[in-house]
Order: sequence, then C-alpha cells, then structure tokens
Amino acid sequence: MPTPPTTPIPTTAYSDHRLQNGLRLIVAEDHLAPVVAVNVWYAVGSKHEQPGKTGFAHLFEHVMFQGSRHVAKAEHIALVQAAGGTMNGTTWLDRTNYFETMPSHQLDLALWLEADRMATLLDALSQENLDNQREVVKNEKRWSYDNRPYGTWQEKLQAHLYPPEHPYHHSTIGSMEDLDAASIEDVSEFFRTYYAPNNAVLSVVGDVDTPEVLRSVERYFGAIPANPSIPPLGDLSLPPTLGGEIREVVYDRVPLPRIYLGFRAPVYGDRRLDALEIAGQILAGGKGSRLHRRLVRDERIANDVALFTLGFTGGASILAGWATVRPGVTVERVEAALHEETERLAVEPVSADELARAFALIEADELAALQRVEERADRLSMYATLFDDPGIINEMLARYLAVTQEAILEVAAATFRPDNRLVLTYLPEIAPADSGAVDTDTDEGADADTESDEEVAA
Amino acid sequence: MTATDRLELDGNVVAQRPTPGVPRPYEFPDLAQAPLDNGLTILVADLPGRPLVSASVVIPIGAVDEPADEGGAAVLAARALTEGTERFDAVALIEASERLGASIHADAGWDATSVSIDVPTTRLRQALDLLAEVLLRPTFPAGEVERLRDERLNDLLQAQADPRRRADEAYIDTIYAPDAPYHRPAGGQRETVERLDADVLRRVYARAVDPSIATLVVAGDLGGQDVVAMAHELLDGWSSPASPNASGKILDAPAATGRRIRVVHRPGSVQTEIRIGHPGLPRKVPDFHAVSVMSAILGGLFNSRLNMQLREAKGYTYGASAGFDMRRGAGPFTARAAVNTEVTVPAVIDTLAELERMRDTKVEASELAAARDFLVGVFPLRFETPGAVAAALSGLAIHGLPVEELLDYRRRIEAVTIDDVAAAAREHLRIEAAAIVLVGDADAIGPALRAAGLGTVVVERDDAPPALGPIPDEAHVAVDEGEGTGPTAGAEEPGLPGTADEPAAADTHADDREDH
Repeated sequence: MPTPPTTPIPTTAYSDHRLQNGLRLIVAEDHLAPVVAVNVWYAVGSKHEQPGKTGFAHLFEHVMFQGSRHVAKAEHIALVQAAGGTMNGTTWLDRTNYFETMPSHQLDLALWLEADRMATLLDALSQENLDNQREVVKNEKRWSYDNRPYGTWQEKLQAHLYPPEHPYHHSTIGSMEDLDAASIEDVSEFFRTYYAPNNAVLSVVGDVDTPEVLRSVERYFGAIPANPSIPPLGDLSLPPTLGGEIREVVYDRVPLPRIYLGFRAPVYGDRRLDALEIAGQILAGGKGSRLHRRLVRDERIANDVALFTLGFTGGASILAGWATVRPGVTVERVEAALHEETERLAVEPVSADELARAFALIEADELAALQRVEERADRLSMYATLFDDPGIINEMLARYLAVTQEAILEVAAATFRPDNRLVLTYLPEIAPADSGAVDTDTDEGADADTESDEEVAA
Repeated sequence: MTATDRLELDGNVVAQRPTPGVPRPYEFPDLAQAPLDNGLTILVADLPGRPLVSASVVIPIGAVDEPADEGGAAVLAARALTEGTERFDAVALIEASERLGASIHADAGWDATSVSIDVPTTRLRQALDLLAEVLLRPTFPAGEVERLRDERLNDLLQAQADPRRRADEAYIDTIYAPDAPYHRPAGGQRETVERLDADVLRRVYARAVDPSIATLVVAGDLGGQDVVAMAHELLDGWSSPASPNASGKILDAPAATGRRIRVVHRPGSVQTEIRIGHPGLPRKVPDFHAVSVMSAILGGLFNSRLNMQLREAKGYTYGASAGFDMRRGAGPFTARAAVNTEVTVPAVIDTLAELERMRDTKVEASELAAARDFLVGVFPLRFETPGAVAAALSGLAIHGLPVEELLDYRRRIEAVTIDDVAAAAREHLRIEAAAIVLVGDADAIGPALRAAGLGTVVVERDDAPPALGPIPDEAHVAVDEGEGTGPTAGAEEPGLPGTADEPAAADTHADDREDH
C-alpha cells in the first residue's frame, strides 16, 4: 500500500528572555485550549551529589513541597489542585524539574508558588518536615526498588557502566544510609548553592499573552538574588567504551530469569545518539521490531523484550534493555540471540523498509508528545538547560529523519561490542546447594566477571 | 519593576497571593452522531489543531460477561485479533500499521472489548481500513493463539513474585463471592487460561462482535475528512451475530459479611502491601457525583485525608489512596498503601480510622471546596488530547450514558453539598464488612496484628522455592492474579471524569526518574 503524505508537525514558536538575575524565561503561546504549563528546570541533579550524600537532590525535591515563607506544608499542592491544576517534580542525574499545568487564568498562582520556594524555602524548613520526607523517600525506595522483582537492576546498571569516582555511578534514589545522614545543614547548603535564578530555566506554554507573562515573571522572580558562585562540576568525560565485558549474576525472588544488557553510548546531544535511538527502535520498538519478532514471536524463547536509551550529558549515555526468559529455555540461548541481533546491526545495513517504518513511528510519537503543553514546556526547559538552545524542540524530528543506514552501522559498531557491554542476569533464588541443577552461565561468567557484588556495594 | 510592585515585596518575593484572572470558557467539544443501518453508533469529535487522530470501536461485552470456566477468554480473544486476518498475517498487519505511523490495539477489560488506532490525520482512511479488517475479519491462527496463551501463563507466574499484583489478586479473591467474575482477574487464572484455544476464542468473539451494541468513536483534527462516509464504506457490511451474547445480570456479590484479615506471607518483605475494602459500586449510580467528591476527599486528592495522615504526617508510605473502581457491575472499593514493615499495624489502624471518620462525621467546608474545585477545574486539562476525548466518549458508550453526562459534569459536581457527601459515605462505606488483605512478612507483622484485635487473622504461606524450567503444577497453589499487565487496560478505564480513582497526583511513578 502506498504511504500517504506525512502530517506536518506543528512548530513551537517561542520567545527567549533573561531577567537581570539570570533567570531564563521561555514563552510559547498556544491558544487552542484554556490551559497553561509552567515548568522550571534547575541545573542540578544527582550528579552534583558528594560521596556520602547520595539521594540528596531527590530528597531535596520532596522538601520543595513542604512549604516556604508564604506557603504552608502541603499547601503548594492544595492550592494548585484547588485551582484545577496538576503538578509534580522529578529528579534525574543531570537536573531537577518542577511543573504545574493550570487553567490559563491561574497562571500567576503557579508563578508565585515557584518564586516563593525559589526565594524563601529555608524559612519553612524544619527538622520535622525533613524527617517526614526522609521516611517518605525511604518508602519510595522500598516501593520502587527494594520490594520489587528485578528491582535492583537500575542501580546495578549505573554502578557497572560508570566507575566509582564518576557521579553517574550512583542512582538518583541514593542509599538508605546517606538518606538517614541528611541534616538540615546539608539541605540548606544544597538550596543556597543550586536553587538560584541563574541556575534555572522557566518555561511557560499555553493560552497566555507573552508581554503579560514577562510582567508577571519580572514581578514574582525579579528580586530574587543570583548566586554568582555556583561551583562547576569536574570533568565527567569517560572512555567511550567499557574496555571489557562486565557480567554479574543476581539471585532474586523472581519466577523467570531475565537478562539485562547495558552499553555505554554517545552523550546526549551527540548526533550519533540520534542514530542509536533509531537503531533501538528497529531492534525493539514495538511488535514489528527485530528482537520482538525473533525472540517473542518466532523462536518463542522470551516472554518480553525491551530496549531504550537514557541520554546523559556527562561522559556517556546508556543504552539498555532486557529479555525475560521463557520457562524451559536456557539463559544462554536468549543471551546469544540478543548479542547476535545487536551485533548484526554493526555489519549489515538495515533495510529501507525498516528505516521507513521506524521514521513513521517516531514521527507519530513526536506528534503525540508535542500536542500537550506540559511536554512542550518540559522540552523547552530541557533544551535550554542542557544545550543552551530551546530551538532544538523544532529540530529533533528532522534530526531523527536524517539518520542514514550508514550512521546506524557506524554507531552500532561503536556501541554493540563485547568489550562495551554489561550482562546482568537475574536468576530465581535457590538454595546454594541446588545451584548445579540450574543451567546458568557459570563458564563464561567466571572469567569475565570483572566486577562483583562487592564492587557495587563499595 | 515599578514602584508599586516593590511595595508588595516581602524580602525578595511578593507576599500577596495572586488572584485568578478571568476564566476563559471551556466547553467539551461538539459531537456529530450518526448511526449506521446495522445499528452501529458513531460519535465524532472534530478537534482542529490536534493532528493525531484517535479512533476506536467499542463493544460493551467484556470479561464480566464470560462464564467462570472460560475465564480469560474475552481478553485473550481481543488480543488475538491483531494476530492475523483474512488479508494479513500478524507480521504483515504490524508492518502495514507501522508504515502509517499508526499504533493499533485490540484489548478487552471487565466491561468491554475494543479495537483502537492512533494515527496522523493524513493517514486516517488507511488506518480505519486496518481497524475494520482487524474487527471484522480476524482468523485466530492456532499457533499465535497458543503463543499468546503461554505468554499469559508466564505472566501469571511473574505475578506471584510481585507484591502489588499478589495483593490485588488476594484482595479481589477475598471480597467477592466465588461465583462473581470480579472474584478472578479479568485475564483469567491458570486453570481456565491453559484450556483456551483458537476455537474457544473464535466462538467467544463471534458472539460479542455485534454492531447493534457497538460504537465507533473518532476524535482529532479531521481536516474536512468525512468519517461517517468512511464508516459506511468500511462497516456497512458488518451484521449482528445469529446468537449474540445475552447480556444478563452481572454477579457482583460480596464473599461474606464481617471483617476478614488475610495475610499472604512474603518472607523478608521490606514493605507490606495493604488493601482494605469491599465490593463497591457500579458506574451508573444516582449519586455518582457525590461519591466522586467523597472519595476525592478520602483518598483521591494529594491532600486527601489518607495521604495526609499516612504520608505527610506519619511518613509510613510513598502514597496512600482510596477509591471506587466503578464498572458495569459493582467493582471494588479499595483503600491502599505500601508501608514499611514495622509500621504495618499502625498504618492499618490509621486507615480504618480515616474510613470511620469519613462515614461518621461531616467533612469541612474547606475540604468540600478543595475537592469540588479540583474536579471542576481540571476538567479542561483532561481533554487536551484526542486520545482523552475518545476515551471519555468510549466510557459513555460502555455504560450507556448520554453525552449530557460530560456536558453537565461540572455543574453537577458544583452542586454537591456537605450533606450529599455525608450521605454517600454513610451508604457506601461498609467498614465493618471490610476485608484487610496484607502481603508482607507475616513473621514480622503477625504478633502485633493479632494483638491489635482487628479480627481473625488468617496467614497463607507458600514459600516453596520458585521453579526454573517447565512449571510444576504445585508451584501455583491458590494464588490469584491481578490487573498488572493490561488485560484490563483500554476499555477497563472508561475515562469518564470524576471516577474517584483518578485525581491522585503525586503517587505516580515514572520508570526513569524519581518523582515527587
């Protein structure tokens, strides 16, 4: 069937401003619906945490909802919800963000709330609130990681792919010990250092009038002082590959084995990562992808497969994925198939039809994502924070569609190689005496297991 | 900054809270309705500026309509629809869909079976052609059905290890009578799923696929395309089955009366998954809006009573919530939280106390206002995308509700009073009959739980080591299954505004980062 014409992706027209205190403001008008998205990115994430203080950036994000000079504990959320809005905050390795989506006539409330906590959070900080959120975060860690089947994989992925001295080595959630040790002084210091207008980007997208937004932002944020001495991060650069295969076998309370693969990948912003994302789409992006078709549909050796990139700006990104092994199938067989399919991308060009299907799906994904004001605000803040260029929002699709078969071959050859891969195998917990009965990868695992549990715990 | 502005400053910030501007009116999109001669209802919402179109055929026959010995058939039949049709084998169908940049989904839940497609508007005609092919001409290839069935069985195995799914499964198994479909997971249990084959699915689907009860929903920027004409062309030939599914009365009886406490032992668990409640309400109840406001106050809003107590005051949990899962029949009312093991009993006691306080005393005017203003105010935000509009329209179709249900929603929420909330709580919270289901370390929580005197405690232990390789039957002792993997997605959530489970804002979790 001939492919009908593409649907043009609407362009996001925006204006880019900077207040005297350094706050960057990006405004994009969209009057389709009476809603507005407010989104603040602070250029601080778990990579800024010092040894012994892991999990701080995220714990701090929770504290940001505990009140400020003119806002009581939990009142931020109460005011937003009562105004008919939604809100949240998230923490990641390179950044922390806070956002509200509001009926457009409630824009000023969201701006005022963000300004009050940017300026006066410490006025409301108390031992009681800190202790409370520490317990909440510890329960978040238990819920998301510790009490979940295969729940440790993400911590192990980071710990193996980045060396111990690198700030991506530890996960955003941090360790229970470090969370327990967090003091009021630590939190205050973190705030004074990083939560300054010159370390933030504010995006406003939706049913607004740009001059009015400028006036309101100047009014609420204009007098907040900058921090002229935000300490720069050290050198985060890394060798592009691991330099040797890393293997770990984890016994967990899981009924089916699962193999996680992890690779170092080009940094976020590097065009080669665009090509790797297309490669990932062709490998495992949906039911028509190579891995799904071979492992799940044709050979029926895996119950599910997944593959994705995590883009980071410092040193290396991550390409990771997994396959859950079907009962009665050896782990080795599934692992061999994963390696075969990833490495094939390095030597055999993808077909024109595969590339065309990947492009069509990515186009539809972009269309779906950018229709929401919340997503557009987040992307404007992101591109401004990470690359000093909010205009990338209008360039990404073209960048993806410009990826060639040659570019995929090249990035696959650089990424999918044995000396750049982590193989993390989860096996059902069994008594040690029985381990001989289970068909595991004891042979090759023994030699190549360059990093062990001890290293992770260190 | 002007001099006037400076006067308002308290230090570096403005002390005065902003007052809202003038609200811009929002109306739910206009709908075009046009039935076909075969009885198919068509609902079209043209949304200029929204170029990703969402289209769906919804049939209100789902897992609740299947006999107990065919548990899981509706879900598996729906999923098999995309595994082969008269014109396409599975791979050809996937590739045709991907070339359009379209994602096609066929699924069933408790209430309905649906086939949906999201596609850029310029390719809508081709996408509807695929949708019609999947809907009307599936072939249920035996080999693919077998694979889907095995994947489901493996998924059931995986569910045993997941404390959340185990808790959900044990909970519905506890609160519903054994002959009620809601007693089992919509996707079915091992004993029935392993008997399903292509013949069963073909028969089950043939009885369900009836245009006289179905609705085609299309939402998005149609750019002048005539969807009704397309529907005529593609779906006029669809005729009702000779022996349609007799939509009988839904069995949704509770298991028993009186408090039951069931502990599923999971040795070494660092948290306990708590489920407390009882069979709740169907979607079509006269006091739907009062129930929505009541459950928002109790456990829906971030600042709900349960979340404020268990999370913000005590730090017991990452999030506590409660709500009614309103289905065609009486779906469960559930209060839920995952708490660290040591505080399990206090968390259960606090939850029961909040339920009792809601039932026995009137809410404050400020609480009513917060819930009401949220539900009313967030209405336009919910319908920003065609997918959300289509989901709301599908909800109307599933429950046989008129479009006025959406048009009048905000007015009816605004009309809810403190007394309405009190009446809803009094009538629909049955705390003495509530079951308490806990999945956690029974050795750690058992003694305190018995000492608390909340009721008779029954502990289940099945800590035999999990097996690798071919699955021995004894590995599946008496474990039900939950809704974790999506047999209940899509039609399961009608997307109607105000279903009380929805507003919880901050206890969601994105896989790739730490949410608040």
